[in-house]
Amino acid sequence: MVLLTKIVSILFTYLVYKISKQSYSRWNLFFLTPLLISPIVLIILLIATHTSYDSYYSGSKWLSFLLGPATVSFALPMYRQLKLLKKHLFEIIASITAGSAAAIISSFFYALWLQLGPSLTTSLVPRSITTPVAMDISKTIGGVPTLTAVFVIITGITGALVGPLWIRMLKIEKSTAKGLMLGMSAHGAGTSKAFELGELEGTFASIAMIVAALITIILAFTIFPVLQSELLI
Amino acid sequence: MKIIKIVIQVAFLTLIYLAGSMISNYLDIPIPGGIVGLVILFLLLQLKIIKVEWIEKGADWLLAELMLFFIPAAVGIVNYQKAIGSKWVSLLIVIVLSSLTVMAVTGLTAQYISKRGRGAVNGSSDKNR
Repeated sequence: MVLLTKIVSILFTYLVYKISKQSYSRWNLFFLTPLLISPIVLIILLIATHTSYDSYYSGSKWLSFLLGPATVSFALPMYRQLKLLKKHLFEIIASITAGSAAAIISSFFYALWLQLGPSLTTSLVPRSITTPVAMDISKTIGGVPTLTAVFVIITGITGALVGPLWIRMLKIEKSTAKGLMLGMSAHGAGTSKAFELGELEGTFASIAMIVAALITIILAFTIFPVLQSELLI
Repeated sequence: MKIIKIVIQVAFLTLIYLAGSMISNYLDIPIPGGIVGLVILFLLLQLKIIKVEWIEKGADWLLAELMLFFIPAAVGIVNYQKAIGSKWVSLLIVIVLSSLTVMAVTGLTAQYISKRGRGAVNGSSDKNR
């Protein structure tokens, strides 16, 4: 019975994902993106069948586990495009450093402005980067890692949804810049979106995601404690 | 046949990920196993210890289906109704505004450098390396 629940939860997640992915590529409506519509459908299914999240996750955690090997796989596009990355090294480092600082500082001040309180504010700070790193940082700086994981997901969905529109409004024409901003702000979800725009955008989003994780680790332990001790009471 | 190839290659990538996690635990560094594994795989490819063909199919599949692996965690939002409570509108505002800020800063910086850098790329990148 337990094993059956596990298998069913994996199968249903996969099925809902496949259907939403196919309808998304067929009708190309932004709200059909699998990242938004699949969790909603699955939540409705859980509520309708009185299934707890814990028993759903006992099986579907194996899909989450594959995020690890998937992160490793980003080495492949980097290896394929190494020359290009070397050529744009300064552009990558400079824009991701600026982006990482903007992520920490803007989350902090917007949260302060809306009076979210220390624990939510701290949990919001590392939300632009890939889940495992974000959770680690959250734990170290005094946030709640599981809440951070939720914020990371919402950030990913937000970036993938509004990113393409925002790119047009800001008149970003360079493929490299498009990829960097999607990978920087929306980690894996943004990178997935960037691959929809093109191979070049996707590659730069991959590198942005990796560099963002590394630079955010450094910034979270240098500039964030200063903000925290000065302003968060 | 193609599916078997993908499964074997994904298993191999999983081994690299587990190795990365062990290294990250052992050295007690804040860099997670996935990123350590990424560096390992990159070096293995770069040093020609393994061939691209050994992992290509598996890696391309994992990257193509990336969104699938986010879904179970996203469904987990149902468990946080209490912790987030009435603050979810404020949280959403922070996340959307901050995302727009981050994208604008990153995109405009990158575009500025790549436009300005034409012809003077070497000078600026050497100085800042």
